[in-house]
Amino acid sequence: MNGTIQAPTLEYAQLAPMLVVFGAAIVGVLVEAFAPRYLRSAIHVPITLLSLAGAFALTIWQVVKGVPTKPAAMGAVAVDGPSLFIWGTILVLAFVSVLLINDEDHFVAAAAAVPGSAEEEQALHEGAGHTEVYPLALFAVGGMLLFPASNDLLVMFVALEVMSLPLYLLCGLARRRRLLSQEAAVKYFLLGAFSSAFFLYGTALLYGYAGSIDLAKISAALGVVGGQETLLYIGVAMLGVGLLFKIGAAPFQAWKPDVYQGAPTPITALMASGTLVAAFGALLRVFWVALGGLDWNWSPVLWAVAILTMVVGAILAITQTDIKRMLAYSSIAHGGFLLVGVVATGAAAGQNSKALSAILFYLVAYGFTTVGAFAVVTMVRDAGGEAWHLSRWAGLGKRSPLLAGIFAFFLLAFAGIPLTSGFFGKYAVFQAAVAGGATPLVIVGVVASAVAAFFYVRVIVLMFFSDPAADGPSVVLPSRGTAAVVGVAVLATVFLGVFPQPVLHLAQNAAQSLFIR
Amino acid sequence: MTTHYLVLSALLFAIGGVGVLVRRNAIVVFMCVELMLNACNLAFVTFARQNGNLDGQIIAFFVMIVAAAEVVIGLAIIVTIFRTRRSASVDDASLLKY
Amino acid sequence: MGESITFWVLAVVSVIAALGLVFSRRAVYSALMLGVVMFSLAVLYAVQDAPFLAAVQIIVYTGAVMMLFLFVLMLVGVDSSDSLVETIRGQRFWAVLAGLAFAALLGLGIGNAVLSPPKGLAAANRAGNVPSLAELIFTRHVFAFEVTSALLITAALGAMVLAHRERAEPKQTQKDLSRARFVRFGQLGRNPGPLPGPGTYARHNAIDMPALLPDGSVSPLSVNRVVARYEAAEGTLPPEVERILQEEALSERANGHVARPLGEEDGK
Repeated sequence: MNGTIQAPTLEYAQLAPMLVVFGAAIVGVLVEAFAPRYLRSAIHVPITLLSLAGAFALTIWQVVKGVPTKPAAMGAVAVDGPSLFIWGTILVLAFVSVLLINDEDHFVAAAAAVPGSAEEEQALHEGAGHTEVYPLALFAVGGMLLFPASNDLLVMFVALEVMSLPLYLLCGLARRRRLLSQEAAVKYFLLGAFSSAFFLYGTALLYGYAGSIDLAKISAALGVVGGQETLLYIGVAMLGVGLLFKIGAAPFQAWKPDVYQGAPTPITALMASGTLVAAFGALLRVFWVALGGLDWNWSPVLWAVAILTMVVGAILAITQTDIKRMLAYSSIAHGGFLLVGVVATGAAAGQNSKALSAILFYLVAYGFTTVGAFAVVTMVRDAGGEAWHLSRWAGLGKRSPLLAGIFAFFLLAFAGIPLTSGFFGKYAVFQAAVAGGATPLVIVGVVASAVAAFFYVRVIVLMFFSDPAADGPSVVLPSRGTAAVVGVAVLATVFLGVFPQPVLHLAQNAAQSLFIR
Repeated sequence: MTTHYLVLSALLFAIGGVGVLVRRNAIVVFMCVELMLNACNLAFVTFARQNGNLDGQIIAFFVMIVAAAEVVIGLAIIVTIFRTRRSASVDDASLLKY
Repeated sequence: MGESITFWVLAVVSVIAALGLVFSRRAVYSALMLGVVMFSLAVLYAVQDAPFLAAVQIIVYTGAVMMLFLFVLMLVGVDSSDSLVETIRGQRFWAVLAGLAFAALLGLGIGNAVLSPPKGLAAANRAGNVPSLAELIFTRHVFAFEVTSALLITAALGAMVLAHRERAEPKQTQKDLSRARFVRFGQLGRNPGPLPGPGTYARHNAIDMPALLPDGSVSPLSVNRVVARYEAAEGTLPPEVERILQEEALSERANGHVARPLGEEDGK
């Protein structure tokens, strides 16, 4: 035993955005422990927002200073162009979602009290609330930042759990329809744990194959190690199951509508935007950095998954009568469109950066629109909470033309109508796919978009061309936070739809450097 | 010998998977997931010996940490829903459906 | 040779225990079976040059995780058992079939991989298993190690959010409780004393036998509900007790009382 361990080198500057977010989360926990109840919310909100803004600033500073070309933290984290772009996206989306969370009316007063009990009544009466949602959300955001940036499968697994555990909890904290919310938490948790077991077994088999969990070393082992291809193939398949589950790709999409419906709407917004972005970042990194040399094998499978996801998402969305479930299925369909972009990655570096920049742009565009749409959902309310049933939305255009107009605009962006951000997102992804030789996939994608457009238009027709019910839902006056969220989302959707060039350019720059191999 | 260990871990993993699909008590389902994680750990430890490096053992160690945290969260969620419904069956929780 | 004997014994034990976990009806048995699997795996780790993991497996898994499972099972009710009714027709059959296919795929896939003879950990463990692991954890994997702290904090925070109730009013003292009991006696005529023990004035001296009142009738108060529920499931409950319990439940429902579980009962 030599007894001395050389101290590891940690590139604090590169890791700073993550460290700031995690640090703020821990400060939040301390606030929970020591601050008096009536002050907590007032302390949490600035800490949370400032830390997210600070992390965003640090990310920008990183980009300006020059994108690192070597993995950081002893090879555990890869802070490269795509990572930084994804970090920026996640941080902005998280900032916006926190503004929604700030409207604390959505969260349960006392999670430990049985729904409908006298105890809950009293907690509601006293105006109690769970301010723990802020540190929990920050932990989730920290996991989201680490997930796409992890450079080995162990860090990726830990990040997956850091991201998921707070979300499982947050799902169960809705103030109204608490049974639904608790069920959503149980379902999300059990299925999430099940899928992470698959991810882990896949990791084990890849480790057995390559003798290492570094993505780069796995890539180097491809084709060198002989006689163990079965380990590799089964491992890749199981790893893929774990990742596709997080994205909600068919046939692993079953959790998404349930969880999106049951979770408090601000948390749904955070999941629909941040988690999707993070999961796609991780998927790209694994399939590209580690398994790029194997694309001959996984590409056909991803073709099938992409087609199935688009079709399932688009068709099942038509049958929905609940606005949140409909948005969930729309998110599944968009996951399918994004997978088209993943399939479009190819052997040539040029093609790769084209597909990558298309995906990055799409993620930004979709993230903003979806947060905005969920923000609108929080504002249309019945006596018992948000009005989810589509029939309740009938005639909203006559009652509140502005809100209905904004929502219609978001739906058109989902459908990919020109002059909205969704159009350029789809256009870029499909163009990359055609260039990558995946034309049949693009045809399916276009047909699925048309089907999807049908149900978006149906909702718009329902809002504007049918008579409002006499006892219809009321549109609450938004709090400043919610109004800001809707405003930002509208601006982003318009801006990306009319002048996509700056963001496309950014995405191209980010994609230029590709992932660190 | 390595193959034997691996086949054992595959068997345990598959049994756990069947359990998740078959059982309906949420706690038992969760135990089956734990069984799957244990099977993964066996595979990691075996591969560590096969490959002659300690990375596998490190991962197994991390899996245990993660599993411990996951159990706390999972059981807290299950207890909460039990308090509400007085039942831990996955089927009784069925407000959500297509 | 020694290794293969250990392996075969423990392999058989752990597979049987795993099957027991999946197919036993009572959740407590499942938990105990899981404990057996975890113990066997700990020994297999020790055999495979992973003494540290063997210890951690026993401390963390069988020590902490299993105990937590058992606590929650006790809390949720040990007598909860799965119904055997299928909600999705044929689900069980297809699940088992899929499991078999999956096991065959995994087993064949792994069994077919041509593995070189194991390199062994002698070189990697030269400084001792624990120091070598420590070196890796605190150098190469230090970031993952630090990030797991976020997991642990999340877990603690989550348990607090979901399970901790803050007391809204001052704790009731013995005096308050006793006063409340007598107030209830005055208003509703409910017995303020402790419940009668089972077997009092009875012909048996067993806790599943109800006490007899001086007039020879059965006292429902003396029947332990958990025992009664268990016996009702087994079909060994004396018919008279069953009738009385049912009548009581009916009248409680009619009065708008929800049957309270044991332990929150008054007068204890």
